[in-house]
Amino acid sequence: MSFVATEQKPASIITPAETRGDLVLSADVVVVGSGAGGATLATTLAEAGLRVVVLEEGAWYPTREYTANVPAMLGRVMRAGGGTAMMGRSPVPYLEGKCVGGTTVVNGGMCWRTPEKVLDEWARGLPELSSARLDAHFTEVETTIHARYQDDGSQGGVNDAFKRGADALGWKLSRNKRNQRHCVGSNDCVTGCPSGAKQSTQYSWLPRFFAAGGLLYTHCKVQKVRTEGGRATGVSGTLLDPWKARRFTVQARAVVLACGAIQTPLLLQRNQIGKACGHVGRHFTIHPNIKLSARFSTPVDNLQGTHQAWQCVEFRNEGILLAPGAIPLAFMSAIFPDFGPRLAERMRDARYIATGGILVDDHGEGRVRLLPFGVPWIQYDVTDADQAKFVRAAALLAELYFAAGAEEVYTPFHHMPVIGSPDDIKTLYRHPPRVEDTEYFTAHIMGTCRMHAHPKGGVVDADGQAWDLPGLYIADASVLPGTIGVNPQVTIMALARLIAIKLADRLKRRVAA
Amino acid sequence: MGPDFVLRGRTRRIAQAVADAMAPRWAEFEVDLSDEVLEEVERMIRAYPIAIQLAVLGSLYGIEFLSPLFGPGIKPLSACDRATVLQRMESIANHRVPQVRMLVMLLKVMVSFSAYSRPEVEGFLGYRRQAWRTARQAFRERLLAADPAELPPVPTPLADGRVVSPADYLRFFLPERAARPAAVTQGVAQGVATAATDAKEAG
Repeated sequence: MSFVATEQKPASIITPAETRGDLVLSADVVVVGSGAGGATLATTLAEAGLRVVVLEEGAWYPTREYTANVPAMLGRVMRAGGGTAMMGRSPVPYLEGKCVGGTTVVNGGMCWRTPEKVLDEWARGLPELSSARLDAHFTEVETTIHARYQDDGSQGGVNDAFKRGADALGWKLSRNKRNQRHCVGSNDCVTGCPSGAKQSTQYSWLPRFFAAGGLLYTHCKVQKVRTEGGRATGVSGTLLDPWKARRFTVQARAVVLACGAIQTPLLLQRNQIGKACGHVGRHFTIHPNIKLSARFSTPVDNLQGTHQAWQCVEFRNEGILLAPGAIPLAFMSAIFPDFGPRLAERMRDARYIATGGILVDDHGEGRVRLLPFGVPWIQYDVTDADQAKFVRAAALLAELYFAAGAEEVYTPFHHMPVIGSPDDIKTLYRHPPRVEDTEYFTAHIMGTCRMHAHPKGGVVDADGQAWDLPGLYIADASVLPGTIGVNPQVTIMALARLIAIKLADRLKRRVAA
Repeated sequence: MGPDFVLRGRTRRIAQAVADAMAPRWAEFEVDLSDEVLEEVERMIRAYPIAIQLAVLGSLYGIEFLSPLFGPGIKPLSACDRATVLQRMESIANHRVPQVRMLVMLLKVMVSFSAYSRPEVEGFLGYRRQAWRTARQAFRERLLAADPAELPPVPTPLADGRVVSPADYLRFFLPERAARPAAVTQGVAQGVATAATDAKEAG
């Protein structure tokens, strides 16, 4: 297993420059996407002795190319250059990775198992998803991606300030496991780890996949799921060759979509798959979050330390998670509502500002759909009930920061951007901000092709196979049956592994028969 | 449109006015970043899909012709001075309808990302990111070399006191403190220089 960032492109990653003309490939399984779901599933299948081809729309980047230039990196590793937002009462920007490794390259690296409570609920209809049955998969995932506590001392001032506040109030903290090996706190998670410490699928699952004989093709934009006799038999699309458009076709015994909770339903809708069940693109949950920050009298230095070392789980039962979240200056500048000279003055104190966030288990449901002419439309409305939780959570986080010694707290609420003292926190309750006056963000999008035990209740069955199209499987965040309330990468990987093991068995049985 | 996108003619003038108004300025920071920021914003737009490029152009035309409804004067935005541009954009940014605010916020995010990623801005604010990253990479290499071959079980942290003390973990490279001047003087004439020297000597 490779823990160190490989600077040379593995020979098993094939770029358009290494091929000529249209590509025609065949495999036992073709997997679309190389992120948390795709890479995990592909590795499991390849290690079971199947011929697997992974198609990735983005490019491969070595660690040395993850630079500190935020606009440049957004253009390289994020879908739509990072300019993605879902529409609703208040637009919610979101980030989706588009490179080898998918969103695991640009996430914060938090590793949480699905909470027992959530698994118990899922297991009522889908016994395969019980915590007892998933336990071995969770363990395998955590070992492979190196889910570890931070090295002591690497946390940095932003995390320390958060802990100080929680400790002062006696609130329970949980130490984060992150998929990293010696994260040294350079704090550039969101534009790609510059030291190779983050064990994204690029450095965890994919080296195993290549060792097992798997192949990965970059710049492959899948447009069509091919069918024959009522079964999925492959995919085709355009090779995003910078010089000229070329086509590719992959014939396979099984097709797996792992493009994420937005791209997978869009691809299904473009191919008119799943129309009968009526669930494609629905039950969209986003685990929305808002950012708060606080100014201290001594430097906390966002730059130095890890993105997030712990989470405050004191209010977990209310569906509220509070967490520090150290971010580079460019992102810090974007969370303040100001611009121009006012923002410049605020940013003068950047070294003294600690940033944090609030995540809320959402009960609203959005929708991902195609408008006429194939235009994607992503709709999500934060509900008033969830907003009430956000207001309470903002008050709690402000209290925590003041307990840690903050001089001022900055909120994402338009009518009350600054809380000047602990006494001012009450104002949040007296004049609660509306959804329309709140800035949200999300990186946890899930549930648009949910797994369900009955064809009328979801898009895929307990094996991950589409109810409407045999031979088509889905293994990404879209199959999660509901919101999970924690960072989702470990859950996605565990479910992908579960789906992969069943698929490998099925394909092998068919050969034997 | 597409990957060859460039701002031309009126759209360039509007974007120039926006970048000029939104780019950070400090009295002690003498670099005018407007052109660099505009170039970076243009690069960001180039990476967007055509639908978002159209949305950005829509935002630019929107604030050009609709902004007189929100602020002083009746001239199009690109013909206004910096103060007027800022005043109008603040009015839009504080509008009660979030979709109206979006006209400005998208541009604000692009300008902020572009400006605050620049090494000279980071340096002015007390961050030497490139040097920090280089030092961290080297430090990690040392940690990897010092790691025992047998990895402890997940989720144990790897570096314990035998490899590096927690207190020293982030001290491997410390940037200088950010400039937080108690007083700012402008100019280098004799009186000003004397006042600056006196202030410095007074701590």
